[in-house]
Amino acid sequence: MAAMKFYCDAERCIECNGCVTACKNVNEVPWGVNRRRVVTIKDGEPGERSLSVACMHCADAPCAAVCPVDCFYTTDDGIVLHDKDICIGCGYCFYACPFGAPQFPSDGAFASRGKMDKCTFCAGGPLEDNSSEEFRKYGSNRIAEGKLPACAEMCATKALLAGDADMVSEIYRKRVVNRAQAALGKGSQLRQRKFGSKVDLEGKVTN
Amino acid sequence: MKLTKTSDQITQNRNNHSATSAGGGLAVSRRGFLRNSGLMAGGAALATTLTPGMMKKARAGTGTEAGGNANEIKTICTHCSVGCGILAEVQNGVWTGQEPAFDHPFNHGGHCAKGAAVREHGHGERRLKYPTKLVNGKWTKISWEQAINEVGDKILQSREQSGPDSVYWLGSAKFNNEQSYLFRKLAAVWGTNNVDHQARICHSTTVAGVANTWGYGAMTNSYNDIHNSKSILLIGSNPAEAHPVALQHIFKGKEENNAPVIVIDPRFTRTAAHADHFLRIRPGTDVPVVWGMLWHIFENGWEDKEFIRQRVYGMEDVKKEVAKWTPDEVERVAGVGEAEVRAAAKAMADNRPGTFIWCMGGTQHTIGNNNTRAYCTFQLALGNMGVSGGGTNIFRGHDNVQGATDFCILSHSLPGYYGLSGGAWKHWAGVWGLDVEWLKGQFDPASYEQSKGKDVTAMHTKGIPVSRWIDGVLEDKENIAQKDNIRTMIFWGHAPNSQTRGKEMKEAMEKLDTLVIIDPYPTASAVMHDRTDGVYLLPASTQFETYGSVTASNRSLQWRDKVIEPLFESLPDHTIMYKLANKLGLAEQLCKNIEVKDDEPVIEDITREFNSGMWTIGYSGQSPERMKKQQQNWGNFDYTSLKAEGGPCDGEYYGLPWPCWGTPEMGHPGTPNLYDGSKSVADGGLTFRARFGVERDGVNLLAEGFHSKGSAIKDGYPEFTDKMLKKLGWWDDLTADEKAAAEGKNWKTDVSGGIQRVAIKHGCAPFGNAKARTVVWTFPDPVPIHREPLYTSRRDLVEKYPTYEDRKSFYRLPTRYGSIQAKDYSKDYPIILTSGRLVEYEGGGDETRSNPWLAELQQDMFVEMNPRDANNNGVKDGDDVWLEGAEGAKLKVKAMVTRRVAAGVAFMPFHFAGHFEGKDLRSKYPEGSDPIVLGEACNTAMTYGYDSVTQMQETKASLCRITKA
Amino acid sequence: MRMTTTKSSHGHQMLKGMLATVLLVLILPLLPYVFAVNTDAPSPVAGSVPNPGADLWRAVRQRDGVVTGSSQVKGVETGVLISPAGKDWLEFRREKLIPYSAYVFAGVASALLLYFLLHGRIRIKAGRSGVRVPRYSRYERWVHWIMVVVFLTLALTGVILLYGRFVLIPLLGPEGFHVTAQISKWLHDIMGPIFIVSLIVMTFTFFHEALCRCKVDMIWFLRVGGYLGGKHPSSGKINAGQKSWYWAVVLGGIVLIGSGLVMYFPNFQQGREIMQDANLIHGLAAVFVIAFMFIHVYLASVGMEGSLECMTRGDCDENWAKEQHDLWYEEMKQEGRIGVQSEK
Repeated sequence: MAAMKFYCDAERCIECNGCVTACKNVNEVPWGVNRRRVVTIKDGEPGERSLSVACMHCADAPCAAVCPVDCFYTTDDGIVLHDKDICIGCGYCFYACPFGAPQFPSDGAFASRGKMDKCTFCAGGPLEDNSSEEFRKYGSNRIAEGKLPACAEMCATKALLAGDADMVSEIYRKRVVNRAQAALGKGSQLRQRKFGSKVDLEGKVTN
Repeated sequence: MKLTKTSDQITQNRNNHSATSAGGGLAVSRRGFLRNSGLMAGGAALATTLTPGMMKKARAGTGTEAGGNANEIKTICTHCSVGCGILAEVQNGVWTGQEPAFDHPFNHGGHCAKGAAVREHGHGERRLKYPTKLVNGKWTKISWEQAINEVGDKILQSREQSGPDSVYWLGSAKFNNEQSYLFRKLAAVWGTNNVDHQARICHSTTVAGVANTWGYGAMTNSYNDIHNSKSILLIGSNPAEAHPVALQHIFKGKEENNAPVIVIDPRFTRTAAHADHFLRIRPGTDVPVVWGMLWHIFENGWEDKEFIRQRVYGMEDVKKEVAKWTPDEVERVAGVGEAEVRAAAKAMADNRPGTFIWCMGGTQHTIGNNNTRAYCTFQLALGNMGVSGGGTNIFRGHDNVQGATDFCILSHSLPGYYGLSGGAWKHWAGVWGLDVEWLKGQFDPASYEQSKGKDVTAMHTKGIPVSRWIDGVLEDKENIAQKDNIRTMIFWGHAPNSQTRGKEMKEAMEKLDTLVIIDPYPTASAVMHDRTDGVYLLPASTQFETYGSVTASNRSLQWRDKVIEPLFESLPDHTIMYKLANKLGLAEQLCKNIEVKDDEPVIEDITREFNSGMWTIGYSGQSPERMKKQQQNWGNFDYTSLKAEGGPCDGEYYGLPWPCWGTPEMGHPGTPNLYDGSKSVADGGLTFRARFGVERDGVNLLAEGFHSKGSAIKDGYPEFTDKMLKKLGWWDDLTADEKAAAEGKNWKTDVSGGIQRVAIKHGCAPFGNAKARTVVWTFPDPVPIHREPLYTSRRDLVEKYPTYEDRKSFYRLPTRYGSIQAKDYSKDYPIILTSGRLVEYEGGGDETRSNPWLAELQQDMFVEMNPRDANNNGVKDGDDVWLEGAEGAKLKVKAMVTRRVAAGVAFMPFHFAGHFEGKDLRSKYPEGSDPIVLGEACNTAMTYGYDSVTQMQETKASLCRITKA
Repeated sequence: MRMTTTKSSHGHQMLKGMLATVLLVLILPLLPYVFAVNTDAPSPVAGSVPNPGADLWRAVRQRDGVVTGSSQVKGVETGVLISPAGKDWLEFRREKLIPYSAYVFAGVASALLLYFLLHGRIRIKAGRSGVRVPRYSRYERWVHWIMVVVFLTLALTGVILLYGRFVLIPLLGPEGFHVTAQISKWLHDIMGPIFIVSLIVMTFTFFHEALCRCKVDMIWFLRVGGYLGGKHPSSGKINAGQKSWYWAVVLGGIVLIGSGLVMYFPNFQQGREIMQDANLIHGLAAVFVIAFMFIHVYLASVGMEGSLECMTRGDCDENWAKEQHDLWYEEMKQEGRIGVQSEK
């Protein structure tokens, strides 16, 4: 059994921010803390692409490696969670994370960031599944209810995929093949616009 | 892995469809997968939330007890016309959760930022909480009784002193269907046609242009049908921001059919980023570029000649006009080169059927009706109409603007587009159970206009549209075709910052006797003026606090259940309508055949009443029972065809898309794609409507050699009347009751539905089988032509493409065109100003800017400007700037320097309000009801300019200058 | 060597001394930083169908430089998709800083222990004379001891935060260590600002005696203070070794304060890389100063007879002064302050 992972299909993401607000919704995340965000590269220019990013639940999580109090743990499905009761709010996980996933409720002046908060893959935390306390501290535990993260479930265009890594990569692989097949079936070139393509603003693809 | 919820209904995946599990194979249910992967915490509930009666532990912070039962309530999102399904989880009357509605055929659980955040409506912190009155500049709480009494008195006083037309009933695209219908009725029994709503400033030009082309003015296919499109063209449409879930369908078509996506827009939008062709046009040059594409199509003989011969009138006249739009001229006027235009035209021609999508970018112009008709003509030329995967897929705006439009909360028609003629009034008086003479007596008996040399009374003349309400207040009353100015303004579910000329609006608001605002939020109407008295705020409930039907853009009707009880002291709109009507002495007439319980008219009774009257567009077959049944069986409807295969709704199309002909008993399945002759009418097929006569200048206007499947008449035919049935020998197919009702009537006025039933029984469309017409001889420009916007920077084109002449009285008001265009504003205001949307906000914005989850994502009003203009004006990204509109309004906003807009063009989103010309009006909101994010309203700077047929405002092409603040 | 210096050359000496000590104290800790770890280039994704997303991901992985986008979510570096520097920082911490600093501490402590075992306690050769020489005023002693408390708290809590995970969690368990770590962090956060004040005061208090008398100090260094045998070199009030310690604390302290403040106020939108750098500099400077502190504590207590009482009683034995700080002793004698009671 492979680990649970996210994958955002950049050919489908339209920066509608549905994943962002879905997460705030089901986890009652306060203002200032954003477990998930959408980043747009080459904004306003041909080749613009958006990607939704939150905690990537890394196999060798740097946050877990650097934490001075070792408050992280990885579940059997590869979801990286942490214990807010043990966290001391030092911020090192944020420095270490390549994706900037850890969030803090306070702006941090006088080194008081508050307890770190981050995407839990909607798997709650170390407290009892679906208890009031778990919800208050960590948000939803949809995994324990047999569901998947709300962000992926509510993605407008099914760009954001979440679930078993093998399944996710299989879905994505099939999508890529599908896209190519549609072109090949018509005997024409793959129409997908490449990220790095030089398209002048009148829309003519020059590569 | 399939992300679909497991439930009693398994949606089958076909090999080439589902977006979540591309490719074929058995769809593994999530439950099965998770069980296999050992995820289930020992013994924990396996059931998904669709299993009834599942025990769920409570969520903290919501005031619920652990172990309480969660109800799952089905409703429809309130934010746009896609009509996404919403599953709301409610415990003990508190809205505690929101689950993706995987079974819903429109969105399969997907949402945009707004849809994913609707649960915040259950918090409602910034809501208008109780009736409020402005007294000496202070907001004072009053009771509902006092509010209704005082407002009613003011309204009656206005009538007494200045006639019924002095009260303006501005309604809402966010009313559900029943509320929309009731509201239009309320204005009618009050005795005025001064009633309107957002459609006027949104798709009015679409409805007018498209309906006058082939009979109905709505989206012809559906979002889902785009799966079948082999090419997709979007002009003036940015679904990535305005209809994100529509892209779920567009991408499916794009990816599985390798369909080219063409985006024509002045901005490189987020939609354009996913397109294969991007044509950057100068704002306001839609006709040149569409005719430019058609030029290549005619030049190369790519048009569908057979289709044109059978089903189109007037293409030769169009060809003459198109011949003028050579590639050089298109480039000169619109700014797009030959290669791009030809590539786009070829892409559409080579890949048929293709669909043509447009939104505000095309409609909001002085020549909006020209634009929309040009789009239709393009699709007719390619033969893309009446076919799955083709069509003109017009994306409507608000969640029920389609319904509100269909019920004609419009100053120029009664519900169902019956118009304002004597026959229309007779029909509806009959449905309402009212005496026509009594209705007549409600109106101002005088005449202020003439038609065909005869005097016409106020009852039969178009009222003032919302885009011009301020002129109804400010214009000299001698120049208005009604008794007096507008003195009492009722803003019901409508924001003010969606209309142009904000400075004059402030003046108009201050001149009114009384301003009444009925809304869940105060809106900018509460703060943008400097009044100290005479303003009433009445709290309305949102669509989550009531129930009823709503019509999505694809004409599907969906049933909503109530999620929570009205918050604070708010009341559902129809309850407020009844209370007001009661005060005005109109309660009995308003609800003659509608049961009222505790001042709340019963929704289902209203549905049944409009079923009994809305024959023109087929709102007659969607009874509450049929709609509710569909709601319970979302998962049965196919993702692409929207047809239920098996189950209790077998054979029906989701939403019974109108026209759903005949009575509910007849059981018509709805019409998923308009004008599609490949199906029989009984199965949702259709022809073009015979609306414009049978013959013109010796040319046959009926279809030639074309008929829908199974039609008894194998050629064109006019609309069905009793006489026609008798002539065809089908009269005796009617029952005795039907005969009694149908005698002397036609398919629109026969309230038994018999004429429709019999016509369909013989495979015929009740409204006839005609040609679409590309020449609308009743419009100012019969063949669409280009005219420069009123405020244009291309003074060199004004001579060849001038705007219209000024009109003395149009929708009761003098309307200027040429006298404005005559002045050269381009020296002082060199930058073209255009406007549009953001995904986080909707409409006037007070509702969504009060939602912290959305507000956090867009905290500042801004203007997009090109680096060249920024450098010319010494502006850096993030600087505060003054944007001055061509008529002097100054807005203080942040500059966003980006190449998204071309040099010489600036763009502003229109959802902000609460700042006015640099001043922050936050303190003027009632306490606790100020939205989280405030900003300048872009329409404060937008200028005069109104469509020549519908009075649509020109918000896509004005002028401005920008300086560093 | 000269017993006294003229005023002008004194100032000259000052400048030279400061420059020398700055260079010494600052450059040394920066040397290990040169050994930055490079990210290894991952293997390219193999696929049979050309994926249009490949270009995007290549750019996003920052293989050809940083790619920054924008996001509607406001915050520190929300427009950056992937910041690879965190991995380098983390690896340096875990693979280099933590183990090597432990070696440094162990090494220094072992060296001192070895020295003690081999050489024993440094005695006053002439034995105690019984005559006292005033050395440090009450004020100076307070300043010193307050600094001791502050510094030791910071050092100890810092060390707990650095090593605690590996050493104390096995002992205390996660909840137990959480309490220790939380308290350590709070104490570190509170003592940090106090350290700023304490350091400023201490800098000025002992500034004069810590200035370089370069000839004397050079010779002291060359003879390794006499600790390894040979004739005991001359020294002023404090010897060159003690001066180095002073400058290590002052300059190291400045570095610690600077880097500490960067971490203490993350609310100025500093990026992660700045915080990582601050954290590393802070750690390296701390290791240096703490290791040096071992030496100071050793020599000021167990390692040398007669030294501790300077800071506790405020005076020292005449013979100790003659042996350890002969030039200062001469000055005191000339001023007639031998045998004078020090402030109690």
